[in-house]
Amino acid sequence: MFSRFFSRVGLLAAPFLALVMAGCSKADMNVRQSTLDPKGPVAKMQYDVFMDTVWLVVVLFILVGGLLVYAVIKFRARPGDEDAPRIEEGHGNPLVEIGLITASIGALVIIAIPTLSAIWYDDDVPAESIPTSKLSAWYPRLEGAKENYAKVVEEQVLEIDVIGKQWWFRFEYPQLGLTNDAKRSVPNEFVIPKGKAVHINLRSEDVIHSFWIPKIAGKVDLVPGRKNHMWIQGDEVGHYYGQCAEFCGDSHAYMLFRVEVVEPAEFAKWVQRQKADSLPVVAGSKAETGKALFAAKTCMMCHNINGNPQAAGVFAPDLTHVASRKSLAGAWLDNRDPKAQLAKEQETLNTEQSVEIDRDVLKANLKKWIGSSGVATGADGKPTKDVKPGNRMHFYQAFSVSGLNPTFAPLIDAAENALTEAQAAAAKALVDAKGKSPAELATIKKAGDEKVVAATAALKKAREILTPEELDCLAEYLLTLK
Amino acid sequence: MSETAAAHDAPTSTGIDHKKLIMWLFLASDCMFFGTLISTHLLYRKLYPSGFTDAEGHQRFIQNLFNIELTSFSTFILLMSSFLMALAVSAMHKGEIKSFRRNVLGVIFFGLIFLGCQVFEFTHFYHQGLTIQNSVLGSTFYVLTGTHGTHVAIGVLWLILMYFYSFTGKLGGHTGALDVEVAGLYWHFVDIVWIIIFTAVYLVEYLGPNGFWGTGLPAVTK
Amino acid sequence: MSHDSHHAPVASKLELAPERSDLGLIRPDRTTGWTDWLTTVDHKKIGILYGAFAMFYFLVGGVEALAIRTQLIRPDNDFVTARMYNQLFTMHGTTMIFLGVMPLSAAFFNFLVPLQIGARDVAFPRLNAFSLWTFVFGAFVLNASWLFEFAHLAGWLNGFEWHKHLAFTDFAPANGWFSYAPLSGTYGQNGQALRFTGVGTDFWIIGIQVLGIASLAASFNFICTIINMRAKGMTMMRLPVFTWMTLITAILIILAFPAITVALIELMFDRAFGANFFNPSAGGQPILWQHLFWIFGHPEVYILVLPAMGIVSEILPTFSGKALFGYPIIVFSGAVIGFLGFAVWSHHMFTTGLGPVPTAAFALLTMAIAVPTGVKIFNWLGTIWGGRVRFTPPMVLSLGFIWMFMCGGFSGVMHSSAPADSQQQDSYFVIAHFHYVLLGGVLLGLMAGLYFWFPKIFGRMPNAPLAYIASGMVILGFNLAFGPMHYLGLAGMPRRTHTYHAGNGWETWNYVATIGAYILGAGVFLAFANLAWTAFKGKKCASDPWGGRTLEWSLPSPVPEYNFAQAPIVATRDAYFEDKHGGKRIAYENDGGEAGVHMPSQSWMPLVASTGFLFAGFGMPMMAMGVPHAGWIVITGLGVLILGIWLWAVEGPGGYMLKTPAASGSPAPAETAAH
Repeated sequence: MFSRFFSRVGLLAAPFLALVMAGCSKADMNVRQSTLDPKGPVAKMQYDVFMDTVWLVVVLFILVGGLLVYAVIKFRARPGDEDAPRIEEGHGNPLVEIGLITASIGALVIIAIPTLSAIWYDDDVPAESIPTSKLSAWYPRLEGAKENYAKVVEEQVLEIDVIGKQWWFRFEYPQLGLTNDAKRSVPNEFVIPKGKAVHINLRSEDVIHSFWIPKIAGKVDLVPGRKNHMWIQGDEVGHYYGQCAEFCGDSHAYMLFRVEVVEPAEFAKWVQRQKADSLPVVAGSKAETGKALFAAKTCMMCHNINGNPQAAGVFAPDLTHVASRKSLAGAWLDNRDPKAQLAKEQETLNTEQSVEIDRDVLKANLKKWIGSSGVATGADGKPTKDVKPGNRMHFYQAFSVSGLNPTFAPLIDAAENALTEAQAAAAKALVDAKGKSPAELATIKKAGDEKVVAATAALKKAREILTPEELDCLAEYLLTLK
Repeated sequence: MSETAAAHDAPTSTGIDHKKLIMWLFLASDCMFFGTLISTHLLYRKLYPSGFTDAEGHQRFIQNLFNIELTSFSTFILLMSSFLMALAVSAMHKGEIKSFRRNVLGVIFFGLIFLGCQVFEFTHFYHQGLTIQNSVLGSTFYVLTGTHGTHVAIGVLWLILMYFYSFTGKLGGHTGALDVEVAGLYWHFVDIVWIIIFTAVYLVEYLGPNGFWGTGLPAVTK
Repeated sequence: MSHDSHHAPVASKLELAPERSDLGLIRPDRTTGWTDWLTTVDHKKIGILYGAFAMFYFLVGGVEALAIRTQLIRPDNDFVTARMYNQLFTMHGTTMIFLGVMPLSAAFFNFLVPLQIGARDVAFPRLNAFSLWTFVFGAFVLNASWLFEFAHLAGWLNGFEWHKHLAFTDFAPANGWFSYAPLSGTYGQNGQALRFTGVGTDFWIIGIQVLGIASLAASFNFICTIINMRAKGMTMMRLPVFTWMTLITAILIILAFPAITVALIELMFDRAFGANFFNPSAGGQPILWQHLFWIFGHPEVYILVLPAMGIVSEILPTFSGKALFGYPIIVFSGAVIGFLGFAVWSHHMFTTGLGPVPTAAFALLTMAIAVPTGVKIFNWLGTIWGGRVRFTPPMVLSLGFIWMFMCGGFSGVMHSSAPADSQQQDSYFVIAHFHYVLLGGVLLGLMAGLYFWFPKIFGRMPNAPLAYIASGMVILGFNLAFGPMHYLGLAGMPRRTHTYHAGNGWETWNYVATIGAYILGAGVFLAFANLAWTAFKGKKCASDPWGGRTLEWSLPSPVPEYNFAQAPIVATRDAYFEDKHGGKRIAYENDGGEAGVHMPSQSWMPLVASTGFLFAGFGMPMMAMGVPHAGWIVITGLGVLILGIWLWAVEGPGGYMLKTPAASGSPAPAETAAH
């Protein structure tokens, strides 16, 4: 009985696969990072090749799987077999073997041909796309560029440099002057013009990362010491989701990014906005206090904000337009109202449709992110739970990497030493006072305790790098950076 | 690691002794080992043909460092040691234990000369500014030649132990000859690997007017 | 040369007089219990030990897997921290591959190969013991990283001065089983050797290095055994298929492992001595690590799969009642898979920017390797065709193997198309693919082998209803866990991410997968528990309960220590089946005669020598931690290793003569259970 039942257990996989296939409604196919809902020629080509393999495999699956099931049922042992004469021993049939090998090779050729053509197609911008995609075909004249430079560049397609770091992406548009050297780089959310091929240069500054926007293009790695490239093109306006796809350390799962596909005219406007400085803060506002804190708390050593001359760091994301981005912290924190966003996606059956930024969510995210990074502290004087374990804001504070953060660690060290000394002094005073009257002893003990309490408070203050009020001001300042 | 336990009374299927077969298998594996190391070195030579920068910040070429006469000498010495090893194996097969000892002592002596040359070379290169840390070239060169040197050192150690073991009287007969022959196989292999390393790491640098990798440096400038 | 073996033959080793080795020490031949197991050179006992350790580590890796799945059961979960998750998947992969599947395969190699070729032992019995203990200590070093990790998390290490100076506090490795540089390596110039990860990586490097030595030593031994110790008449084309696959696997190991050995040496030099092999700041190319790793790593896939294929190729004919269809083609396709396995490594690197020409070449070669793999499936089908299929637990698992392996092979064909792969690489689709190959394929195959040969190993029959239930749970749970991952991958969920947001559409199937994983875990546990119970308490069974085809079934169960009382002389493939069913008979040669058969002496030296790896393996990560005087532990370890090998060399092989029951004629035919 068991054997009859379990001889069919193997068949479970077949209905299961069918279930998966049938269960995949349209809503399942176009989830945010779906590879089955291509919105650009590269992803489309990859999808088409994938479907070629799927059909081939389904046919083979039915053929071979069907034969296997048939054979297992047809040739099952029956009562009385024990007495039957032994089956004649055959050792194979060369004709069958050769036929099957030839058929297998034939089946593989079916997928080899589209594979080969897609490999070359995906490698770089195809020649036929260049006339319509080169900058002169759609982008306003490059203002301010040197004549020769403009001439050369305008015959090229748009180029974007993607630089991977633990754990965020930096985007640069060298032809358009949006580079880190010019203090105009774009972190985590970048923008491309609809229907225009874009050449992407992939670089890494630390470990290996991988650049993947499933709906636009399959992944290519960012390998330190190598100059990789790819090309992408978005054919529908919308907000697309990408993610680092190569394991890159503690917070790999938090290394997300976004790309916005916009109309070419919108793109040009966006570039102009990226070049603009941030607006001045209102005098006497919380934001003004926050701006001062941005310098005082050493944020400016790593972060750049155009319009705030003190903030000129190059290590961390550029914050000039931080409040205009739909996400924060390597796109892990979403600045939109999650319920509204889901409702919009369900209404349009389209995950590329995006609601606008919600100011309250953004502010909460800013406070959460800054507050979790070891810069601000929880009630016990220690950093609160990490949004992104191992991130560098925490790192520099904790280890005081030379030259990057001269401020905090020595202060904390000094306060810790002072506390230790106070404790030792109090203990020593008690020992020295041996034999004195109880009243005198009490006084000495009280004086010692007070010093210890004061030192403890000082240590807490040293650790408490940012008070809740200060954190609020800092968030208000960042909210002005649109 | 000598034993032929089950082979005592039964001849092997192929007629080849277990020990000899396993040594050949080890050498096949070691081929891949050295193949990987040599490939690493050559790949990086192709990628960075121009040498390295020393502690003073001077661009240095590997030909500046090489003392090709010395390395040729040590290569010759190693080749001769292989010749002596062959004589030792032959002596052992004939049961001439004294001749074996003489020859194996020669192998050990030549092996030590080779190792001495390598130690001298490493020290010299180090003082010339090539370290394992300051360049990829230093890393690949020292690790490749050092790994080979380790193989030679293990071989020397093995032969020394065998030399002294021969005085116990237990190294003899067919088994003894086989043990020596297996050690000989190892020794010849290490020797052949050195010939490849000598060619691929040293000699090619002198090919053509600019060296094989096109360093831009006239090849033989001392 | 020792002449111990010329003493009078004994009926049991316990009757031996105390014998001294050339060192003057008493040989541990007459021991029982612990000492016997620690000093054994009997391939069957070594096989059992391999199997026991492998099953233990399967459970360890399984617990790690369940922790991973628990973390992923819902979005934004915090069952474990990001770092702990990374350590879990690193150790899960490493454990399952190096401490689970490989040693379990080795258990079969050890137990079966000498029996199948009609030999009394392997070519180098003491080397075999050395492989075992080296594996055991390598596995221990690797897992000791967990002990340090937990001690650190519990705060026990805080008091140590060196602990205060650690830049990183990850003690268990968190690089993934592939440990891509530079995450596992260094950056910075002039030997600064700044790191991205802590000593966990050092534990991983030395652990894998030691395990590699164990695998290499075992493989040399097995190739030698198979080529040199076949019974008379056992030509290469009469070898049982399992033995053939063992031979190919061992050849793959000796040719593939040097690449990872060199890569690990280079990585170790980078981390410990500031070399620049993979240091991008100093011109090193991290991509080289990937090439070296996958030149080893892809053949490794076949190292894992081929033994299971061999097992299934033994089981299918037995329970179909007919010979393996296309034996020469199965053997040849195994060899082609092994050969081509060295030519497809870059398909793991399609997204690293190889350029179109290499990508195309590796894509085509990868498609090509599907042909010999398909051939095997066709031939298994041909074996069933026209047979009388008996559904025993091993057969059910073998059919499961074919089915799952076929599914895994199909998704493999999908990966071979590089453009499609650029969407699948490093996504859950890949996880689904290789678990169908390695779990649905290899684990089912190995479990089938366990159920098949357990009666031979212990002379006891596993409980069949329990076996069916466990097999059903494994197959059901497995498909429930890994089937949905195909979808998750296509829906864009990347691998090695410890959490994900709600709203990406991945919630439902992750939930299902986790439930499936629990069923799978319970099934494997049940199967192993059934087997463990059987080993000690199971029902005794006949020596040939299945109607076996190869020589091992002609022996009593459990197999006596000398294996064959008389040396068999075979005249055909499937010699025992032919012998039973009116074909050519097996002849027996009374090779021992009155003198008895020669048995190798037991020895402490392999264990002593491999203990050196334990010290060295602990010392090197401790040096990296900055523990004072840890260098001496390493030096001690190397000293113990050299001393052990030297003592081993000069103690003399020893050996004694054992009387066997059969004095003349062929042995009594083993009882055959009707089925």
